[in-house]
Amino acid sequence: MTEFSFIGTETPRPDAPDKAAGKALYIHDLTRPGMLYGKIKFSDYAHARIKHIDTSRAEKLPGVRAVITGYNTPEIRIGFIRDNFVLKQGKVRQFRDEVAAVAAIDPEIAEEAVDLIRVEYEELPGVFTPEEALREDAPLVHEVDVKGRPKTDNLVPVPWKFVAGDVERAKDMAAYRAEDYFETPLIQQSCMGTAGCIAEFDLQNNLLIHTKTQIPFLAQNDFNRALAAIGLEGKNSRVIVPTLGGSFGTGLDTHGYEYISILLAYKTGRPVKIVLTREEEFTALSPRQPSKSHIIQGCDKEGKLLFRDIRMLLDNGAYTSWGATTPSVMMLPISSLYRVPNVFYDTKIVYTNNTYCQAMRGYGNPQAAWALESNMDQLAEAAGMDPYEFRRKNANIPNDISPMGLNITTCGLKECLDTVAEKLQWKEKRGKQKGTGRGVGMASLFHVGGSGRVYRSDGTGIILKLDDFGNVSVISGGVEMGQGFNAALSLATAEALGVTPDRVTVISGDTATCPWDVGTHASRGAFTSCNAAIMASEKARRKVFELASEHFMPRIKSKMKRRKKKDPDFEVPDLDYERICDPSEFDMKENMIFLKEEPENPLLRLTLGDILREAHYKEQGTMIVTEAFYDPCNQMIDAKTCRGNLSATYIFGTQGAEVEVDLETGKVKVLNFVAAHDVGQVLSKQAIKGQIYGGVVQGLGYALSEEYKTSRGKNQNSNFLDYKILSAPDIDFPIEIECVETHDIEGPFGAKGVGEPGLVPTAPAIANAVYDAVGVRIKSLPLTPEKILEALAQKE
Amino acid sequence: MKKFDYHQPQRLSEAFHLMEKLGESAKYIAGGTDLIVRIKQKAIHPDALISLRGIEILRGFEVNGEVSIGSMVLFRDIERSEGLRKACPALVEAATVLANPQVRNVATPGGNVSNAAPSADCAPPFLVMEAMLTVEGPGGKREIPIEDFFAGPGKTIMDPTEILTRIRFPGTKKGTGTAFLKVGRTNQDIAIVNAAALVVMEGKKCRNCRIAAGAVAPVPLRLKKVETLLEDNEVDAELLEEAARLAAAEVQPITDVRSTEEYRRHISGVLVKKAIEQAMARAR
Amino acid sequence: MKKEIHFTLNGYEVAAEVEAHKMLLNVLREQLQVTGTKEGCGQGECGACTVLVGGLSVDSCLYPAFEVEGKSVTTIEGLVGEGNKLHPIQKAFVENGGIQCGFCTPGMIMSAKALLDENSHPSEEEIRRGISGNLCRCTGYVQIVESIEKAAHMNEAAPDKSTT
Repeated sequence: MTEFSFIGTETPRPDAPDKAAGKALYIHDLTRPGMLYGKIKFSDYAHARIKHIDTSRAEKLPGVRAVITGYNTPEIRIGFIRDNFVLKQGKVRQFRDEVAAVAAIDPEIAEEAVDLIRVEYEELPGVFTPEEALREDAPLVHEVDVKGRPKTDNLVPVPWKFVAGDVERAKDMAAYRAEDYFETPLIQQSCMGTAGCIAEFDLQNNLLIHTKTQIPFLAQNDFNRALAAIGLEGKNSRVIVPTLGGSFGTGLDTHGYEYISILLAYKTGRPVKIVLTREEEFTALSPRQPSKSHIIQGCDKEGKLLFRDIRMLLDNGAYTSWGATTPSVMMLPISSLYRVPNVFYDTKIVYTNNTYCQAMRGYGNPQAAWALESNMDQLAEAAGMDPYEFRRKNANIPNDISPMGLNITTCGLKECLDTVAEKLQWKEKRGKQKGTGRGVGMASLFHVGGSGRVYRSDGTGIILKLDDFGNVSVISGGVEMGQGFNAALSLATAEALGVTPDRVTVISGDTATCPWDVGTHASRGAFTSCNAAIMASEKARRKVFELASEHFMPRIKSKMKRRKKKDPDFEVPDLDYERICDPSEFDMKENMIFLKEEPENPLLRLTLGDILREAHYKEQGTMIVTEAFYDPCNQMIDAKTCRGNLSATYIFGTQGAEVEVDLETGKVKVLNFVAAHDVGQVLSKQAIKGQIYGGVVQGLGYALSEEYKTSRGKNQNSNFLDYKILSAPDIDFPIEIECVETHDIEGPFGAKGVGEPGLVPTAPAIANAVYDAVGVRIKSLPLTPEKILEALAQKE
Repeated sequence: MKKFDYHQPQRLSEAFHLMEKLGESAKYIAGGTDLIVRIKQKAIHPDALISLRGIEILRGFEVNGEVSIGSMVLFRDIERSEGLRKACPALVEAATVLANPQVRNVATPGGNVSNAAPSADCAPPFLVMEAMLTVEGPGGKREIPIEDFFAGPGKTIMDPTEILTRIRFPGTKKGTGTAFLKVGRTNQDIAIVNAAALVVMEGKKCRNCRIAAGAVAPVPLRLKKVETLLEDNEVDAELLEEAARLAAAEVQPITDVRSTEEYRRHISGVLVKKAIEQAMARAR
Repeated sequence: MKKEIHFTLNGYEVAAEVEAHKMLLNVLREQLQVTGTKEGCGQGECGACTVLVGGLSVDSCLYPAFEVEGKSVTTIEGLVGEGNKLHPIQKAFVENGGIQCGFCTPGMIMSAKALLDENSHPSEEEIRRGISGNLCRCTGYVQIVESIEKAAHMNEAAPDKSTT
């Protein structure tokens, strides 16, 4: 067992003091000289032809500097399959379509100008469910595909299908089976700080954009493409990330408003700021992908899982973004949560005139877990087994390869299951509290823990720069969005290099100065950046020790001389001051360099700064800057077979709850909640607790109260009054966290990712507890009192 | 946000004068937590707001046998008043769960009642106390029983130039108990249903009973049928169940983005029953 | 319609010419460039804009600028003492993981201050009630409640010198 100085401690986050003092600068707080304010006009219809746009009155409003539409700007195609356009021409396909935009000298004038833009539409019939959109006679959301070929249906050509073994045969062999349908709604990320950006061009027409993003380098790539589209081929973008007011996946795509800001900045020659209001954050940003699942699972007489068959219908919305790729992540728990040899997974993704979806924490896993883990309880019941025992029997084990080709190395699932069972007093309570309205339930998760190679590069660069005083700048391409990236990275660097965390400054979020990183997603931030930091730290230590080899004893000698001069009584110790030490003789801990042979000798130690200054301030001096690029040993999954070891390691966890259902009101009260997560190794204790608590509470919102409602494509609850995220008084029960440390070989100091798992199994854990409490199974989220009372009434 | 002028009269007469001058496009503003939100949502577009915050006589409350509450008293003060809590626990309970601390620090019963949302939290307590509302305008002063005050969702019988200035209700006699309950989707919520009950007990017999429910009809509602059921009767478990059924039938809820008609109807019954039980337990 | 308003901001006398329809939040962020106070929703639902006026917590996004005349306003910046010394509540949040993205933090801390100024030994339930008007999407509130509990204990040792 390694003893760490800083890893695993409660060291406060380095970014916290500025945030506590109100000094951190978010996009909302930034201004640029000569800045204009942009505002977007969105569509008035879910599906309509644009007949005419009259911008004349807006243009004449004093203070307006530019008005743009799809008709007076070059076409810029965006999105995963490039089926979306920054400004719409021809027709609108959803209420949030951007039809025009204004830049003005103040936000109120911009808003007024937007209201003065008159758009004439010819309304078209729309489709608002995948079923509706799949009908023979359904109106087409896109008449042509991205290559201009005519489309005959509303299917999105992003087929995801996974097959392992022979599910049909396994169905015949199964002793028990459980089949059902499960649904999840649209969910809004609800970051407290809304989205926004400031775009500007320099005199060479290079773009500088401050923007709320998790993918600065991919964004740079997207923006460079946009520059080419507007005639600036070869020009470069510099993406700077301000302090983020949360992200939860909203920053995983580049958005219409960013390109609009760029177009307005190009047209006016001035910086243009667009910040979404809370209402626009709801209506114009992309929420979590909803899902409809049909699942059948079966097991043998002993309760061993034999097969899993899931078919999903996904509402793609009007354009294609990351929502359509969630099946690629859903495939992981579907193929690999618990050991199941025969798997069939198929999806249909359908265009509609609803909002399109993109990434949200968990990226499809919460949706899959909802179906999987609810149905596991159903199958356990069919097999006459206790759900905890059933899960344990089928639990993943270390050093196993799943049907998808996922190489599971460390695996703490059994420990997580056992922890939850013990802390919830499972054996005493499950099935034993009939009539009290109380019940216990649990659910597990499986997710990537060592990044996920969704792009050809899954790499992260780190540069370490040491200054004269022994301070270290860790320059990273990753992004701090509140999850504790800076905390983990500063602790890992301090530990690996041999300095104290207060000497470490994390610098990130600038594509011009920071090394490349694919993005802070897939719970990969700490895993990849800390590994790169460890690599760069090792290089730095080697260089420090090489310098020490030359400078250590001479510096000690001159220090002794100086001391003798000050204090004549000082007895200069008899050391071999002319000795040239070998670099391997040195060690460095907590800013001090010393000889391994004599770690306690107070006279034979120097600060890191001492050695660095000696090496710098001399003829042909030298300074230390090291770098490393870490690209994990994972693979892209094969497009056809959907197989491949997507991640360098995998994470597991189990959550459980005791609930009390009020039979009169249908309200679910959580009495106790336990979250056991296989994290490999805790890096920042403060941050990891925060990630799990925060994830659990988001998961509880998913389970109990959150639903982004639309009617014929129009949002019905675009504010916090009616989109119910939980507040402090709702969390009036204990949440106990257990971090199971399985010490992963690939992970930095053994750590695995932890950003997303906190909310993956929460909803099914609650639903399973509700079933234990009152015997009804709710299959669509959220578990509202209305649904519970209705289900109870039907039961009677 | 659309621009508006903001006036700060120091006396009622000044306020009336301004309102007469500015006409239809002006609105009175109390705490602003409803009004400013509606302006920002572009639901209303006043050209001018006349603030009531500076008018001294609208503040202050007295508990002296009768309870007299200035319309511009803050909910935070109602929440913390031991005197009001003794005189009418239901009112203080409503003030305690209305919105959150920041809102309660500026919001007022005058604003809450004048805004006339069917879900107004202080309406059911005022209804069961049979509060008398003093309404003043350029034309003079009048007293209106609260039961006659609400005209529809967001509408009162006040003329646009009138201001609700004071809310009064008599002290309660011996054997009285009151209670207020609210159900929301989460802890912090507008009421899906709220309800208040006042009972005057003589042993197990209910001599007098007043029940009110909100968010279940175009206006906050007295449930007179339930009151008739209970009055002069011994209240046992069976009668309470019937009261719940009757309440569920008497209310007129709708389905909206927040909840369904069926659920609101059902919850009305549950809350009314519980409110009566609580009020009975407090009756002394 | 415009007016020059005079008020005390974090202990200093300030003046600003404001338009009638502006809210205190606009005056702070846009005119006085005191950007610690955030706008999370603009509709009084999230509490990110919470400041103290006369010691009471209010949503500054709904507080008419004209009403600030003569009043004493405290924002998050006002809690930082001389020499960049964090107020005990700010310190408690830093030390106990009460901050993640930080966007809700200024409003959250101001609500905590209002709570502790009135009730120096709140129970856990009272703390949750005290911050019921402040939404947080990152923390799940657990470490925030712990931070405020710790701050309450710290307050006993070091009396609060900040202005109301």
